[in-house]
Amino acid sequence: MNGVRVLMILVRRGFTALFRIPVALIPAVAMPVFFTVAFAGAFSALVHIPGYPTQNILNWMAPYACMQGAAFAGVTAAFTVGRDLETGFYDRLLMAPAARWALGGSGVVYCALRSLLPLSIVLLLAWAGGIDFLAGGWSVLCLAVATMFVAAIASMWAMGVTFRLKTQASAGLAQIGIFVVMFLSIGTTPTEIQEGWLRQVSPLNPLTPILNFARAGFIGAGGVAWHEVWPGLIGIAGCFALSALWCARGFRTLRP
Amino acid sequence: MTATVTAPGRTPWLGQTIALSKRSVLHLLRQPSTWIPGMVFPLLLASVNSSSLARATQIPGFPPDATYLQFVLPACIVQGVIFGSLNGGTELANDIQSGFFDRLMSSPVSRPSILLGRLAGSTLFGFVQAVIFTIILWPFGATVKGGVGGVLVLWLMGALLALGLGAIAAGVGARTGEPEAVQGFFPLLFIFLFLSSCFFPTNLMSGFYRTVADNNPLTWMVDGVRHQVIVGFGLSQAATALGICLMLCVVGISFATLQMRHRWKMAG
Repeated sequence: MNGVRVLMILVRRGFTALFRIPVALIPAVAMPVFFTVAFAGAFSALVHIPGYPTQNILNWMAPYACMQGAAFAGVTAAFTVGRDLETGFYDRLLMAPAARWALGGSGVVYCALRSLLPLSIVLLLAWAGGIDFLAGGWSVLCLAVATMFVAAIASMWAMGVTFRLKTQASAGLAQIGIFVVMFLSIGTTPTEIQEGWLRQVSPLNPLTPILNFARAGFIGAGGVAWHEVWPGLIGIAGCFALSALWCARGFRTLRP
Repeated sequence: MTATVTAPGRTPWLGQTIALSKRSVLHLLRQPSTWIPGMVFPLLLASVNSSSLARATQIPGFPPDATYLQFVLPACIVQGVIFGSLNGGTELANDIQSGFFDRLMSSPVSRPSILLGRLAGSTLFGFVQAVIFTIILWPFGATVKGGVGGVLVLWLMGALLALGLGAIAAGVGARTGEPEAVQGFFPLLFIFLFLSSCFFPTNLMSGFYRTVADNNPLTWMVDGVRHQVIVGFGLSQAATALGICLMLCVVGISFATLQMRHRWKMAG
């Protein structure tokens, strides 16, 4: 069967499962919404720190919540693959005359598309809360691109872990890695405001330029600055290549 | 276990409780994957937040003469206890699923000992977490201005909070018999954590968020303990914090007892 067709069927399977079990939708949507409300509510006074890049805390926190939602949407790929491996469904997929790349690729595409759901809800909530779209449609476009690629990268990282450990429980391990990368970035404050060891570490974190890219249309004087965009795109390309390699090598360890 | 149960000169239920507590603690120690996140994550978060939010202490309204690490020390303990306290409930649910609970029910074990054994493990773990967090963060600037009294309040809060939350988790575990249901309880506790003064003073929040945080009992408890850390030992603040912990214990143990009775009836 044509690889693209297999990929589309498996992506559709993912969405069918998601909408047939509405409970599964709750964490996917509730978590980023909660993060937006919690971070914007608890840390609203951070805008009073001299040098904080915005006077509207939602402009800083909502893109971060979208990135978190995207990353955790990626981890769901590990849960799905882990469950399929445990039940033997993945063995049947491996035995099928389908292109191998489509099996792994379907999880990546599914997660990237699924991340648009929390993104839409968070943006709607943030809009109601008064977020400023400083670059109009470009604000949303940069954030959407970053969100989809972060979800894809996270899914490849998580599937790589699951392919090696071959259990659903490995999703927890994948989650820990994502947590660490998220926290060691510029989630709540920019590098210039950080102090101590984190100030040295966060500029080296590849998520930092990606977050800057995601926030490009929400921070600054208006418009999307190219110097915020290109480092983000390079960060995305690098992380995508590395996580794809990690996932592909893990996939090769599978034997039906 | 038989030897402990029939030990001469000891009330049978006490021996059984001690034996089941030992089992609970040993079970925890033998599975580092269940307790390591509860030790590592709060420390990692405290470390990250103390770097990223260090300048927040310059905002007018932030408690004066306090570092962010001092401010967040009580929250660090609360976080660790939340992580750890769910283990007892999860293990109880595992016992129900694996059939061990039914075997306990068919043996002459005192019924309250089953619950007390689980809770003793959680309480001890909460206390140890509080001790370790206080000691580890001390050299990095999280000094407790309340001295020995203040430190004791912190440690007691850790133990009592673990007892109360552990009891609620055990109640959920007994009711559902599903470890996933107990784990699903975690995000709810995390929401309580954020909707409080754990990470930021409520006087620097605004709108409905501030109203919710101001009326969250977790805020009253954390603020009471925080007073011991950043101001000095205060009896009324300590009483408020520990009183809330005790109330949580009463509610949690009552809930767990009711759910255990329900489970005993089902098993019987």
